[in-house]
Amino acid sequence: MDVLLAIVGQFGLYGLLTLGVAIIFAALRVVNLAQGDLAMTGAYVVATVTGAAFGWRVLLALVLCVLPLMVIERALLRRPLADGLATMLVTWGVGMALRQGAELLFTSTSRSVADPVGGTVELLGTPYPAYRLVAGLVAVVVIGAVLLVTYRTGWGLTLRAVADNPTMAALLGTDPRRMRIAAFVAGGLLAVLAGALYSPLLAVNPTMGFGLLVPMFFALLFSRPGALGTAVAAAFLVAALAVLLRTWLTDTLADVLFYIVVIGTAALRSRSHVRRLLSWSRRILTPARP
Amino acid sequence: MVPSHSYSRAAVATTAAAALLSLAACSGSAVSSAAGDAGAPLKIGVVLPLTGPVSETGKALQRGFELGVRKVNDSGGVNGKKVEYVVTDDAGDPATSTQLARKLIQQDRVSMLFGTITGDTAEAVSKVANDSEVPFGTAILGDNERCFRYAWGFGESTRQILLPSVPELIRKHGKRVAIAGSDYNYPHFYAGIVKEVAKSAGGTIVAEEYSPLGQTDWQSVITRLKDAKPDVLLSMVVGADAVAFSKQGQQFGLFRSELGYDGAPLDADYYPALSDLVNGRTHIVRWTDRLDHAESKKFVTDYRAAYKWTQPIPEVAGNAYFGVQFFLAAAGKAGRNDPKAINSEIGRMRFDSPLGKGTYFEPANHLLQADMLETTIGPGGAYAVTRNLGQITDTVAKQGCP
Repeated sequence: MDVLLAIVGQFGLYGLLTLGVAIIFAALRVVNLAQGDLAMTGAYVVATVTGAAFGWRVLLALVLCVLPLMVIERALLRRPLADGLATMLVTWGVGMALRQGAELLFTSTSRSVADPVGGTVELLGTPYPAYRLVAGLVAVVVIGAVLLVTYRTGWGLTLRAVADNPTMAALLGTDPRRMRIAAFVAGGLLAVLAGALYSPLLAVNPTMGFGLLVPMFFALLFSRPGALGTAVAAAFLVAALAVLLRTWLTDTLADVLFYIVVIGTAALRSRSHVRRLLSWSRRILTPARP
Repeated sequence: MVPSHSYSRAAVATTAAAALLSLAACSGSAVSSAAGDAGAPLKIGVVLPLTGPVSETGKALQRGFELGVRKVNDSGGVNGKKVEYVVTDDAGDPATSTQLARKLIQQDRVSMLFGTITGDTAEAVSKVANDSEVPFGTAILGDNERCFRYAWGFGESTRQILLPSVPELIRKHGKRVAIAGSDYNYPHFYAGIVKEVAKSAGGTIVAEEYSPLGQTDWQSVITRLKDAKPDVLLSMVVGADAVAFSKQGQQFGLFRSELGYDGAPLDADYYPALSDLVNGRTHIVRWTDRLDHAESKKFVTDYRAAYKWTQPIPEVAGNAYFGVQFFLAAAGKAGRNDPKAINSEIGRMRFDSPLGKGTYFEPANHLLQADMLETTIGPGGAYAVTRNLGQITDTVAKQGCP
């Protein structure tokens, strides 16, 4: 039971980050390298604003980040958008600026955030830290809600249309600029939420976002652009693999094996016959359009 | 292809900026004076991480060092001349530490080196110091497996911490000892000495866990540690991981009050993040800002006034303050700025300070033989001295020293 709960907890963190980066990738065709640093920003808002309840601090982190995210997209990402590599480097620069800013403002000493919900809860005879469970469940609910919006609303349809074929979507009347800014803010806010929500479980410091990038990128590697469901499924698989390996093996060995499995799978997936096999299986599983 | 005009202008600007930066790194000190020059002031090269993840500890060392030099200069300096120093930033990177140490010796002609925080940067500077026969002092706690003839450690050694703490924890809490650490050289070395000391105190090692640096989820490690039902837990989980490990351990109920707990997370550096977890626990240190000694109190007052400091003063600052005074006293005894002569005097020196009476370096390992203090951590980060354990000697020989 505790292994399952651990997977849910890790999936919540990786899922929010991956879903966020996948939304940005869908609309902008760029991997947001500042995603981890946006999570750090959310964690710092929660750690430094005192006197308000935890929930309000999380909300404040989200509200405070909306405008900066809009400015970043408008001022920094719009111009070099034609060149994907240049845009990615801009996001790297944004991340660096956030890290340096945090170090200047708060120093590099780690901070901690008190648990908003203390104690443990008993689940099928297994005592589990209450806040870990709350954080995992809130994250899962948010991920579910975002997927629902993506697959059941007009905005989601437009996002998927832009992800599939931006030129065609523009010709059909979609304003790509509005879609890009909305996607960047939504994706960035998911990272801010991840950092804020999980701050009581982590050490809050300027470089904390860096360590979150690797599992997020691995998850992104196994997802299809624009298909946000695959990004969430990949985040779940990455979280499950990491937790299971660490449960069965020592942490160091588990880490080594984790990288071997993930990189090995990615290499295997890139082989043409495996890609063909995957493509056929998708056709078999997807019902034919009427 | 001929470079464009703008490109050459950029190159010129970059070169000029690099030149300016290298001049700035000299901190205004004269570059012409040579080590060992008769009549020239003694110059110290300082290599510190002033940026990067351990920059706060580096800055604390710098503050302690600067106040130590100021104190010596206020009393007339060394050999009648004010001591000068050059501070450089290695950002905690061993390759940069090596380059800076070489530059300080070859260009700035320093007579001694001081600083570094992490073990790998200390070893990098020690190698350069050894090759160039220039003494190097470091103030951070912990020791490495190797010893260098020109490197001297003012921080407490692993044995000096564990020899008093482990038997006491076993006596108070029980014989089942667990070890947790970050997965790099030093925590493994630390665990080796824990095993040695625990065994001689009648303890048994029931769990040993290591995790790569940068771990965010500690559930599996904590579960394994809990399953081993330890009476005592010794942790060398360091950096930000120490905070995450402690926080998650607390959430999983690992740190119950019956569990004896000591190690890196109890250091003053982590107190602001872990206050609830460590309050009331005992911790062995070499120096604390609560030490009841006139000279130590004066340092604490000066430090707080000079740097407008209200938090607990990190131990590394105290070690650096008294350490650099030890080094400069040796230089005074040598009577000249010759690094080799100063190094010989450091090896022979007996020095009184709040760190102990007649402190000296053990020739077999170059570790400072000084007093150790048992402190109890109180609210607000007060590491109050509950027992002065006297001089805890560590004479275990290390490869590289005679």
